[in-house]
Amino acid sequence: MSEIRGKQPGHWLALESPSSGGSSGCRIESVGVKLPSGRLTTRDLMGRTSHRTRIQLERLTGIHERHVVGPGESSFTLAAGAARDCLAHSQRQASDIEMLINTSITRSKGRSSQSFEPPLSLYVKHAIGASAAVNFDLSNACAGMLTGVFILQDAISRGEISCGMVVSGEYISHLSWNAAKQIRSVFSKQLASLTLGDAGAAVIVERAPEGAAGIDVIGFTTLAEHSRLCLAFPSTVGPGAQMYTKSRTLQKVAIEDMAPLVAEVIGEAGVDLTEIDYLIPHQTSARAIRQGTQAFAERLGAKPKHVVVNLEEYGNTSSTTLFVALHKYLEEQRIRKGDRVMLLALASGIEIGMAIFTIDSQVDHYGRTH
Amino acid sequence: MGAHIEAASALTRDGWRKPSARRLADAAARACLAHAGRQPGDVDMLINAGVYREDNMGEPALAALIQEDIGANLGQPPIGEHGTFSFDLINGTCGVISAIRVETGFLRSGVIRLGAIVTSDVEPGLTDRGTAPFRPAGGAMLLGWDDSPAGFTDFHAETFPEYEDLFVSGLAWQERHGRRVSRGESGQSLMVIDAKPGYRERLADCAEEATRRFLSRLGMDIGDIDLLVPAPAVPDFVDPLRVRLGVPGDRVAYVAEDLEKAYTTATVAALQAAVKSGRLAEARSTLMLAAGAGITVTLALYRQTPP
Repeated sequence: MSEIRGKQPGHWLALESPSSGGSSGCRIESVGVKLPSGRLTTRDLMGRTSHRTRIQLERLTGIHERHVVGPGESSFTLAAGAARDCLAHSQRQASDIEMLINTSITRSKGRSSQSFEPPLSLYVKHAIGASAAVNFDLSNACAGMLTGVFILQDAISRGEISCGMVVSGEYISHLSWNAAKQIRSVFSKQLASLTLGDAGAAVIVERAPEGAAGIDVIGFTTLAEHSRLCLAFPSTVGPGAQMYTKSRTLQKVAIEDMAPLVAEVIGEAGVDLTEIDYLIPHQTSARAIRQGTQAFAERLGAKPKHVVVNLEEYGNTSSTTLFVALHKYLEEQRIRKGDRVMLLALASGIEIGMAIFTIDSQVDHYGRTH
Repeated sequence: MGAHIEAASALTRDGWRKPSARRLADAAARACLAHAGRQPGDVDMLINAGVYREDNMGEPALAALIQEDIGANLGQPPIGEHGTFSFDLINGTCGVISAIRVETGFLRSGVIRLGAIVTSDVEPGLTDRGTAPFRPAGGAMLLGWDDSPAGFTDFHAETFPEYEDLFVSGLAWQERHGRRVSRGESGQSLMVIDAKPGYRERLADCAEEATRRFLSRLGMDIGDIDLLVPAPAVPDFVDPLRVRLGVPGDRVAYVAEDLEKAYTTATVAALQAAVKSGRLAEARSTLMLAAGAGITVTLALYRQTPP
C-alpha cells in the first residue's frame, strides 16, 4: 500500500480533502436507482390508520406519495437493481469493482425480514458479477451510503483500489404500516415512520482521470450525546420494525451543531456557501429542511444557490435519499457539468456527514444524451 | 511506520446476570483503553463489528451508543479538537479484519490518529428450536499510528459463492396467538440460524486455499509466519487448519477456554492472548485469519519489522 499521510486531525469532523493530504483525484462516476413499482399516497396511508388521527401529514411534510415494494421485492432486489442501473450509467464493468459495500438499514432477502449472515453485499456482488470485489456491510442509519463513499474515497485516494461501489436497498415501508396500527396524534414518536418510502440506490466511486473534477472534501462526525433520539427495533405488531423518534429535539440539536460543521467543510474545500450550486440534504420533511438550511445560512451569512427537496414523490427513503435525489437531478439534467454539489447526511446517532464535489462527465450518461 | 495494535481486550461477562451486547462492548472498550493508557476522547473512529444483539436494534448504529456510554467526544469539541466518528461494520466473524482494514486506511491517510474496534454477540432471541453456535463475549482493540516499525502491511479477502448458503442467519416473523400475548401484539421477529452439515469442514478448506493464495501473492510461504491468529477460535476449526497449513502448535494464538466459543470477538480474543504472552511482540510476521459465512475468508499480515 502506498503511504499518504496528511496533516494531523485539527477538525471536529473526521475529514479528508486535497488540502489535508487525501481525496485528490477521486470522483463519483455514476449513480443508479431502483424504485419499486408500487405507489402509496399519503392520503391512502393516513386513511388506513387504526385510529382517527387528524394528522395532516402531507401538509406537514410535503410528501404526496412514496414508492412501496410489491410481491417478490426486498432490500436485496432493490439493491441489486440499483447496482445494475448504476453500471448501466457507467463506463465501468462489474469486474472493475474492487470493493462493494452494502449500507442499508433494512436487509430483507427471501423469507428473512432482516438478513444477518452472510452480509447482503455478498449476494449483491454475486448478482451483478463483481466476483473479485472485497465486500462487507455497514450500518449507519440514514448516513450509511455517504459513510460508504467516505471509506471508498479513502481507499482510492491511497491507491489501495481504483474503483468501488456503495449500494443500499431500503424496503422500509413496513415501519409505516406498523406505525399506522398504533399512531393516534401528531405528537406520537412514530410520526416520522409515516414519511418513509422504499428505494434502492448505488454509486460508483473511482480514481478520477487526470484533470477531471472530483470530490473536494468529505467528512463525518457522531454527536453521541444524542444517540438515543431515534431508535428502531423489530416490531411486535407486524412484520418488520418500529421506529421511535424525538423529531423536534433531533431537529433542534442538528440545527445547533450544523453551522460550525458546514463552516468546517466549506472552509476545507476553499469555497463559500454561495458557490454551492445544489445542496442535497437528507430528505425528512420539507418544513424541517427549510428551517434547517435557513438556520445555518443565517449563522454563516450565506446560502447555497439551490436546496434540493424531492419528498413529494419519494418520501424519506432512508439511507438512499441523497443519491435518489442526485440521480433524479442528473436524469432531469437540472444538475450540469461544472456544478458544485454538496451532500448533507443527517441520521440517527446523531451522524452528520458532508461531501462537496464538482460534476464532470457523469452528466453525459444521464437524461436526453443517454 | 504503520498502523499498530496498541491493546486488545476480550471478556465474557459485563457484571450483569444476563449479558447484553452493548454492555459487553462497553466493558471491553473501557478495559482496552485502560490497558493502553488512553482516554475515550483520544478515539477518532469507533467501529462496532458485532453481529448478534438481544434486541436486534436496527438504528442507530450500536457504535454510537457505545461511543456515548464510554464518553468519547460526545458533542462539539473545543476549536481545533477532533470529534469521534462511529458506525457498525457487519461481516460476521470476518468483521474485525474488515474493520482493521478500514481503520488502517484512515490511519495511513492521516484522517485519524487512533481507531477503536469493538465487538460483541449475545443470544439474539432465537426460534424455539435453535441454539446460538457461540457464547456471549465482547472485545475491543485499539489501532494507533506512530514511528514504530510494527504495523499491518497487507490484507486479503476471498468469498466462495458455491458455499453461500451453508451458513445463513436472519430474522423471521412468527405470528403469536393465545392468552399470554399482550393486546395489540400479533407476533415477533425471531432469529433463525441455519448451519448446514459440512459447514465447518468447508470453512477449513476455504481458509487453507485463501491463505496459500495470499502468501503466494506476497512471495511468502507458511514457514515465514511466526504466529497465526485464527478465528473462529474453536479447536475443531483451528487444529485441522493448522495441521493442513503445516503450522506448529506453538505458533498458534490459542484463546482461553472461556473465549473459545466467542463469535465476532474471536479475533480480538486471540490477539489478546498473543499480546499477553508477548508472542505478538516477538513474532516478525503474524497472520490474522478469519473465516465465516459466505464462505468469506479475510486475512491480514502484521509485521514487527518492515519487509
